[in-house]
Amino acid sequence: MTAALVEEGALVPSAAVPRSGRSGRRGRGPTDGPPHWQIYLPLGLYLLFTLVPFYWMLLFAVRPDGSTSLLPWPATGAHFDKVWNDRSFGIFFQNSMLVGVATLVLTTVVALSGGYALARFRFKGRTAFLIALLCSQFVPGALMLVPLFQIFRHLQLINSLWSVVISETVFQLPLSVILLSGFIRGIPEALEEAAWVDGCTRLRAFFAVVLPMLRPGLVAVGSFAFVHSWNHFLFALMFLSEQDKQTIPVGLNTLIGADSVDLGALAAGGVIAAVPVVIVFAFIQKWLITGFSAGAVKG
Amino acid sequence: MPRPQHRPRTARPAAGVALAAALALTATACGDSGSGKSGGEGSGKGKIVFWDNNGGVRTDAWKQIIAAFEKKYPDIQVEYVGIPIADVQKKYDTAIAGGGLPDVGGVGTAYLANMVAQNALEPLSDRIGKSGLKGRLVTGMVTGVQAAGGRGKEMYELPTSANQGTLWYRTDLFGAAGLQPPTTWSAFYQAASTLTDASKNKFGFTIRGGKGSIAQALEMMYAQSGIDDFWNGDKTTVNDPRNVAALEKYVGLYKKSTPEADLNNDFVNMVAEFDHGDVGMLQHNLGSYNDHVKAFGKDKVDGIPLPPSQDGGVRTIVSNPVDGLGLFKSGKNKAAAWKFIEFAASEPMNSLWSQAAGAVPANTGAEQEQWINDARPTKAAMESLNDPKTKIVQFPYYLPDWNTITKADTEPDFQKVLLGKMTAKDFADELAGKLNDAQADFAGHAK
Repeated sequence: MTAALVEEGALVPSAAVPRSGRSGRRGRGPTDGPPHWQIYLPLGLYLLFTLVPFYWMLLFAVRPDGSTSLLPWPATGAHFDKVWNDRSFGIFFQNSMLVGVATLVLTTVVALSGGYALARFRFKGRTAFLIALLCSQFVPGALMLVPLFQIFRHLQLINSLWSVVISETVFQLPLSVILLSGFIRGIPEALEEAAWVDGCTRLRAFFAVVLPMLRPGLVAVGSFAFVHSWNHFLFALMFLSEQDKQTIPVGLNTLIGADSVDLGALAAGGVIAAVPVVIVFAFIQKWLITGFSAGAVKG
Repeated sequence: MPRPQHRPRTARPAAGVALAAALALTATACGDSGSGKSGGEGSGKGKIVFWDNNGGVRTDAWKQIIAAFEKKYPDIQVEYVGIPIADVQKKYDTAIAGGGLPDVGGVGTAYLANMVAQNALEPLSDRIGKSGLKGRLVTGMVTGVQAAGGRGKEMYELPTSANQGTLWYRTDLFGAAGLQPPTTWSAFYQAASTLTDASKNKFGFTIRGGKGSIAQALEMMYAQSGIDDFWNGDKTTVNDPRNVAALEKYVGLYKKSTPEADLNNDFVNMVAEFDHGDVGMLQHNLGSYNDHVKAFGKDKVDGIPLPPSQDGGVRTIVSNPVDGLGLFKSGKNKAAAWKFIEFAASEPMNSLWSQAAGAVPANTGAEQEQWINDARPTKAAMESLNDPKTKIVQFPYYLPDWNTITKADTEPDFQKVLLGKMTAKDFADELAGKLNDAQADFAGHAK
């Protein structure tokens, strides 16, 4: 009841409501908030600042060599054709997609199991395990390169995309497990208990009750895993030594030579690399924000 | 509250299996360091793996060479792998430590000593002596490779090309301003000032303030001072007062004749600024020639070697890294791998590659190719290199700490000098101190 009243504004003291003289003159109510320009001008400036590098990238990607025009016209698709066909970005894209999706699936499944165990079971060494997970975040990937390289070599996984998928998953897991355990703790155990009373096993109760409520968390963890593995360069560079196994970040770096750089091709490669990430974020941004904020307060 | 039924506990056996597997992996992982193990000559047939140390930009040229090689030797297949230049040393180091080196790899003198010290490369002098390349390699590049290897006269890479510092300038802007080409230092500084109009975003010069700044600063210092040796006994000449004075003039260009953003310029930004803005001059090597031509066409841009210290006097240039091909010790098919190296360094292939790279070819036969006559900057660089009066300052690439000292350790200090937070003398003294210590360490180990 109280909450409903607060929501309707009945209990909000008038002194706490920000006023705006100009909005008042225009007949805006005292609870209308600041005028639109105070919201849109800073947002617009911020957006402009953020989008300028993207515009630069698009401009160079479609502008013919030798042009100094600040407008992307006349446009050419030559740079895209060059990187996609001549520089094998078509293959790199496919490899990156395989690595990204496999890392997403593996990370989400394993983190879900681990997160559930940490949230719902009390066992010896649980705190130590959590601390170890946190500590593992302080170890840079570069430090683990040689040991990982040797392990994969003995497993005959060098030059296999699985070496990158496994490494990415392992490095994503600590944060993902911690995040998901926070989400699961936020779901009342009583809901699961009610399912058990109705005859569900723990697994069935998990699928029927917990999993649907975890959607924001799963989206957050999955998208984070995908984007990170999509952009990550080091493991792909080190573990893959065949041209047709390399990924987009490695391909992008090969466009910067020792003394020469093909800016048009580099920008076109950048656009190709950015597109999947932009699409992923466009689709999931609603759940992503919910997911991260929920994890933040309930963890 | 009822708890769901649990299956019998299987955690302990599973944990045991996992632990055993982890221990087994750790144990096997220690079995082979990958370095220093010598492979065999092999049958001279089959597949060899080649890592291109500057993959991407020169991939097309390498693919042409590989196609020609496989046509000539149909029983050898070359697998090409392009490695980004910025990370090639890391890639080699990991493969040396963990295994998985290729049969042949592109190797530059800038990191040759490091690879020789790890015993990864096969000595090549004997093979070169018995091949058709004997006496057909540019002497300066051979001595550069020998010096960089740090093992006397032994060569651990076959030189394929070298680069040289070049002063690029916009002939159209010079013409419009009535300026002569910057063939003297006074003409250079005059042009830098005349072509600058900051209010219209026009600048006479672009300086490299970020990554890679030290090599270019040293090049400018020695070219202006005319000091022709990096060492005076066991002390470096970097902080000689003549070099300090040259450095002061060079950094004095910052903000007066250059964009303020140059503070963080790496070569990519610097070249982009020159190719896509209104900048009169750029100091970079021959490697960016094709980018400038693509941006302006051949008629609006030209490149010349850095001017001599005294007008009309002897030119002093620094030894730029020599690029080449290395034969890896761990390779199991060295006979085939050497055939590929020999073929790639042959006159027509070396010419093809150098033209694509915009570099000076190592094969003396390639020097007479028509494309060199057509490429004025490359020809000018070769003439200055072959001029017996030219003094070449050999950088100590053999020092294992050379890259660390001249990059991570000193680049932030150079930015302080540009910002006026450190004097040129303090900068030079500090750099000289580090180099002297590294040289003393190296000499100590050599004993």
